[in-house]
Amino acid sequence: MTAPVIGSDLPRRDAEDKLRGRTRYAMDSGRPGMLHAALRRADQPAARIRRLDVTAARRMPGVRAVVTAADAPGRYGIAVADHPLFAIDTIRYNGEPVAAVAAETLEQARAAADAILLELEPLPANLTMAESLASGAREIHPDWRDYQELVAGGSRGGNVAWEATVIRGDTDAAFARDDVTVVESEFVAGRQNQAPLEPRACVATYEDGRFVIETSTQVPWAVRNATANLLGVNVADVRVTAPAVGGGFGLKFEMALEPFAALLARASGRPVKLVNRREEEMLTALCRENADIRIRSAVSRDGEIVAREATVLMDCGAYGGEQPFLTTMTAHTLGANYRLGAVRLVSRAVYTNTAPTGAFRACNGAYNTFALERHTDEICAAIGMDPVEFRRRNVVGDGSMGATGQIFEGDVLGPMLERMETLRAGAAGGLPAGDRRLFGRATVVGTWFVFVGPSAATVNINPDGSVTLVTAGVEIGSGSMMQALPQIVSHSLGVPPESVVVRAADTDSAGFDIGVGGGRTTVSLGAASTAACDDARRKLLEVAADLLETAPEDLVLEDGHVGIVGVPDQRISIAQVAAHAQLVTGPISGSGSFTGRGTGSLPGCAAGHMIEALDIPIFTVHECDVAVDADTGHVQILAYRVVQDVGRAINPRAIHGQIQGGVAQGLGYALHEEVTIGADGCIRQRGLETYRLPLAQDVVPVQAELFEGAPSIGPLGAKGAGEIPILNVAAAVACAVANATGKRVRQIPLTPPRVLGLITGMEPQPNLSHVGSSWRDNVLDDPDELLARSPVHDTATPS
Amino acid sequence: MPLEINVNGEARAVQGDPMTPLLTVLREEMHLTGAKLSCGEGFCGACTVLLDGTPAMSCLMPVGLVGERAVLTIEGLAPAGSELVPVQKAMLDNDAVQCGMCFPGMVLTLSALLQQNDSPSEDMIREALVGNICRCTGYERIVAAALEASRATVADAQEVSR
Repeated sequence: MTAPVIGSDLPRRDAEDKLRGRTRYAMDSGRPGMLHAALRRADQPAARIRRLDVTAARRMPGVRAVVTAADAPGRYGIAVADHPLFAIDTIRYNGEPVAAVAAETLEQARAAADAILLELEPLPANLTMAESLASGAREIHPDWRDYQELVAGGSRGGNVAWEATVIRGDTDAAFARDDVTVVESEFVAGRQNQAPLEPRACVATYEDGRFVIETSTQVPWAVRNATANLLGVNVADVRVTAPAVGGGFGLKFEMALEPFAALLARASGRPVKLVNRREEEMLTALCRENADIRIRSAVSRDGEIVAREATVLMDCGAYGGEQPFLTTMTAHTLGANYRLGAVRLVSRAVYTNTAPTGAFRACNGAYNTFALERHTDEICAAIGMDPVEFRRRNVVGDGSMGATGQIFEGDVLGPMLERMETLRAGAAGGLPAGDRRLFGRATVVGTWFVFVGPSAATVNINPDGSVTLVTAGVEIGSGSMMQALPQIVSHSLGVPPESVVVRAADTDSAGFDIGVGGGRTTVSLGAASTAACDDARRKLLEVAADLLETAPEDLVLEDGHVGIVGVPDQRISIAQVAAHAQLVTGPISGSGSFTGRGTGSLPGCAAGHMIEALDIPIFTVHECDVAVDADTGHVQILAYRVVQDVGRAINPRAIHGQIQGGVAQGLGYALHEEVTIGADGCIRQRGLETYRLPLAQDVVPVQAELFEGAPSIGPLGAKGAGEIPILNVAAAVACAVANATGKRVRQIPLTPPRVLGLITGMEPQPNLSHVGSSWRDNVLDDPDELLARSPVHDTATPS
Repeated sequence: MPLEINVNGEARAVQGDPMTPLLTVLREEMHLTGAKLSCGEGFCGACTVLLDGTPAMSCLMPVGLVGERAVLTIEGLAPAGSELVPVQKAMLDNDAVQCGMCFPGMVLTLSALLQQNDSPSEDMIREALVGNICRCTGYERIVAAALEASRATVADAQEVSR
């Protein structure tokens, strides 16, 4: 018997080529006769298009095609189809595309794009959510009522693109009790740019009446669908392939440049390459959205949270994109972590005249966890309880009810907090003598999920004994396609992982997949692969049973062979069986699929939610030690510790790599990655000089422990491990800085000027006057009607 | 007269404008796509090449200014058929690679450092990486690999001197 492949540190098969510079990303692609493309973008945040004239551009040297809104009739979106490919009549953000050009060289394409005549008549711009929600604010989408709703259930109106609400129990009564302390907190979080080193890039061709697009994406199937809808062609007429992707982090979880390149390829009859410049990536990335958050809780003297109300405003920018979907996750972050009595939440995606935002690793979880954990520490201060003790008492455990009435299974966070205590043992509890900086430490908890959803897989058992795994999964850097999936197939079929060939994503060869993100690759593609292997194994054993003259039930697959249980010397290779199968049954392949199981919630609790309960919750505990320089406001991370719920670790070393990388990104978010928007609606950080990404000198080695054994419907009990490492980082850092300085930290990132302002009292407190104090003030519909519609549940006592 | 530059030990003719960035010439003319165009402004280091052994941002270097200096790209560091250099080997062994975009630049920067100093301290390694951004890994395994490679470099040198 060879060593078990599950739980082993299988190396990456793509590492050597990446180290040798041989890996070809979409941005490295070239084709004979290929044209280069450029986009013309608007330079105002809100305007009416008076004139768009491409005549001069068409006559420029080298130009082979120019396309505009007239060529792309459709609109796309995730919940609401509000987004045209090119601005039609109206500009809604600075940087919005109005035309695309393909030419022989990139310089020619850019020159022609610049030569397009664009006359704009400025409109009043709403650059902040406060402006968009002000009474009498101009509607950014006056026709919002006419947009096609792709998902039902959310409230919409004015500049609110989507509103999701949770009502469980009577918060009014709880807040009115005279034996509770009411704690109210306000928070503001900035945008964060994913900034993968490979910009969004694609090459499109038009072949045999179909669009063929090679692209840097996390979601080949979503690109296929969005491109077809925007261009008004059959979905089957778009084929999307994805080579190695040079980082995604959620930026590439939506369609991006593909439809532009596709249109130009059809118009020119030539391959067309379109790659964003870094400046375009800075100005139009689908950043993690900025958010305004208000939370208030009623807490008993012994620390029981009897009621909570919260409002979260998410700035979706000019178009809804992912945000209507992500409003869902407020319930499962602000309403998770701790047992709650009554709870009312409202989560709103708000249109502004700024670049659309999108998904970024752990999405709104990252700032909701920051807000919740800082709020929790403010509760602890108000009732005089130790923050770790408060968490120990209140974290969700086996049988606890989540915000939407979901019942959690298993005690996970509690034991993880204990594990953190062990991990902490031996850590210095302060600064060395003579160091005059301020020391702070914080321990925070977090709850997130695996975005399960549909996946398909096929395995072909080849006559040489190798196995080909065909899925629409993309290797974006996390290693799931290079390590976890071959390990799962290897384990299922008893072949060495080196014998598993992993097919790169191609929508013409693989079945539907919702995409690589949300920690779902190992779980959903892994489960579909397991099912495909089960199907193939059954067929394989039937043929082998014939050859070995025994029953299939007596056979076992291991070491690349089919053996008879209890008869060690009688075995034949899988290659022999596969070769024989070709003659008797035809080649062996198996197919499998997976989707979420639809975990139950309390009916009627949640409105406008696309996920009412979490099929696979994931928990994590972070702790960090900081030193704050009171003279400069500089925060140094001294130590960082993580205990992460992984269900079962398929490849522990790869998971540790994800934790280190995710924490580093979180430190950037917490401390120095800052996006600001100027009066022209344009993002001010136009490059990596002003947008400060973490460098080797900024990070510390993360001490991490993988917590195994929590329940999961994932294959072999696995959970996604790549997304959650960033979830708690801003929370841990903000709480530690608050503890170091004794100041209420309410805004991230904690840049040195902001920290200095906190210490000196010069930092203005966030102005959330546009967010009402009560939940009632922040819903579109009549709150009493909403309450009347919600079922009466006796959930006032936390269980 | 067309320009000529020395790339990976070979004299190569360069077409076009001497103000073209070296990176563009390497990628578009010579199809050496190991160096990446990521920021194009000299901040990320994904385009790093060595000029006479010194790391340089090829996105900012006009090809006309390369002159007599030898250009070494990632493709030339460990040419086809040859083994990985110690820092590449250590990155492989440490499971350091994720998306891979920064690694050609990282490898060249660290190789140059180790050429200069065969046993740099951890701080010196972090300092050497100030111009190379990695968005995936959080750097620790890259730093660990460099430390490991420096020991390997030392061990090799000791073996030769014996």
